[in-house]
Amino acid sequence: MSRPASKRTVDMQILADWVEPGSRVLDLGCGRGVLLETLVQSKNIYAVGVDLDFDKISACVRRGLNAYQGDMLAFMATFPDHHFDRVILSRTLEEVGHPADVIAEALRVARSVTVGFVNHGYWRNRRDALLRGRKPRNAVYTTEWFESRPANPVTIADFEHFCAAKGIAITRRAHLRGDWKTPCAALPNLLAGYALYDLTK
Amino acid sequence: MNDADDDILASLHAAPGEVGLVEPRDWVTTEPFTFTNGQTIGGFTLRYETYGRPNAARDNAILVCHALSGDHHCAGIHSLNDRKPGWWNNLIGPGKALDTNKYFVLCANVIGGCQGSSGPASVNPATGRPFGITFPLVTIRDMVRAQKVWLDALGIPSLYAVIGGSMGGMQVLQWGIEFPGYAQRLIAMATTARESAQAIAFNEVGRQAIMQDPEWHHGDYAAGAGPRVGLAIARMMAHITYLSDASMDRKFGRRQVADRASAATAAALAPPLAAGPATFDVQFEVESYLRYQGRSFINRFDANSYLYITRALDQFDLAATHGSLDDAFRSVESDTLVVGFTSDWLFPPEQNRLIVEALLRAGKPASYAELATDLGHDSFLLESPQLYDLVRGFLGRPAVRLATP
Repeated sequence: MSRPASKRTVDMQILADWVEPGSRVLDLGCGRGVLLETLVQSKNIYAVGVDLDFDKISACVRRGLNAYQGDMLAFMATFPDHHFDRVILSRTLEEVGHPADVIAEALRVARSVTVGFVNHGYWRNRRDALLRGRKPRNAVYTTEWFESRPANPVTIADFEHFCAAKGIAITRRAHLRGDWKTPCAALPNLLAGYALYDLTK
Repeated sequence: MNDADDDILASLHAAPGEVGLVEPRDWVTTEPFTFTNGQTIGGFTLRYETYGRPNAARDNAILVCHALSGDHHCAGIHSLNDRKPGWWNNLIGPGKALDTNKYFVLCANVIGGCQGSSGPASVNPATGRPFGITFPLVTIRDMVRAQKVWLDALGIPSLYAVIGGSMGGMQVLQWGIEFPGYAQRLIAMATTARESAQAIAFNEVGRQAIMQDPEWHHGDYAAGAGPRVGLAIARMMAHITYLSDASMDRKFGRRQVADRASAATAAALAPPLAAGPATFDVQFEVESYLRYQGRSFINRFDANSYLYITRALDQFDLAATHGSLDDAFRSVESDTLVVGFTSDWLFPPEQNRLIVEALLRAGKPASYAELATDLGHDSFLLESPQLYDLVRGFLGRPAVRLATP
């Protein structure tokens, strides 16, 4: 397994491939702005990051990013339809209270929405639950449940079902193996550790 | 501190990290100045202070804008006997967030003020008496335009940043709109783009306290006289709006003033035979504190100035002036940082957020951060390493580009 630091940035390459140069990008749950800074530098985008934490916003500001501290739904509500080209939710969706509302609002304010998440259907995660009877812990999610932020785990099968049920078009998908690097061709819900989706309405 | 001599003097007395001894200066112009309402005066004075020095390119100037009851003295001390340094001394100085080793920091008392700049207490050369309420009505825009005339005269071709809280934050926004591109960066804290009904209401109570004082005489009073009771009450009331329930409770609780408490205890032990008339002397520490605030305010502030500046605050409504807040910010070319404070109920976080939302909708570079404090509106003056880091990070970063249209 890779070290956490390299794993955390692994979806950056794929996102950088998907993001159009010079586009307007909104990153929900932007953290310290590592992803957005990379995209600004490589793709010359106009970027806005949203997060709840003062120190994370402060880090974004120091990085030269536009950053907004506050609730993502309330923030998006202040923008007209399709104000942004793309909304990014990189490992954010499983931590929001109303994921369907967030996706719906993101699809309103942007033409496309990119979602990246850890696939909890991945066999190692299933094994943890089945054999150990414990919350999955790995190189990226290292904390005990009582030290973790509230999470609403999602699997690839769950997510694809959600898109079908809501009539959301999946324009691109990328499934990565447990190393979060190698493309996963078969049985993604079982064999992929990480998933990326590009959505439109 | 433009003169070499002054710099030597200041450095002799400067403790590490402190601006040290500073001296206010007066800048005087005899060029007429026309206010937003169309009235003109034949010239004006701005009293100001500077800290640090301009670099060769003269592109390191940071303007500090003060709030309603503030003034140009925002850092350092005027004499070694001063009890308190300037009002933003924790932010300004060598190695501080507004690093005077790097930046040339300036602050002027606003026009309409009473700390040395032209205002209603100034003498009208036509009559030889104070202007009183014949001084033209002042707006936030007028404050900014007057400072621009002064900065031009000082030979400051651009500002690295403008920073201010509360009314200072309003001026910051106005700088961005009125002189696009003149300031590279805007930092506005605990402010609003539109004075709310609640804030207007508080200002109106203050104004009524002044105007109902029989000593006000429609603004025509001698220097040192005037509606001192009314002004003190206005200040006491306003001061409450700068704090919070939690901070007042922490600072004062229900503690009683010492002699009062002992008197009450004595009375309880030996009740008087015949009750005298009730007295409403100071009983609680918070009362004593507010009375002190009121008393010290009347010795440094002019009542007419208070009327003028609160009216300027109340008039401030960028959305109404420009059609919408988005339209107001259309011309802005600066990178903007707005900071709100969770316990600020005078200019609450929502009103600070609206500014950044509108800027971002207009495609401008802008950021919003919100600090969790329980000190109320005055939180922007807080000693907070988190706030310093934010300001330092924003000033130190490369300029953010505008969105592609």
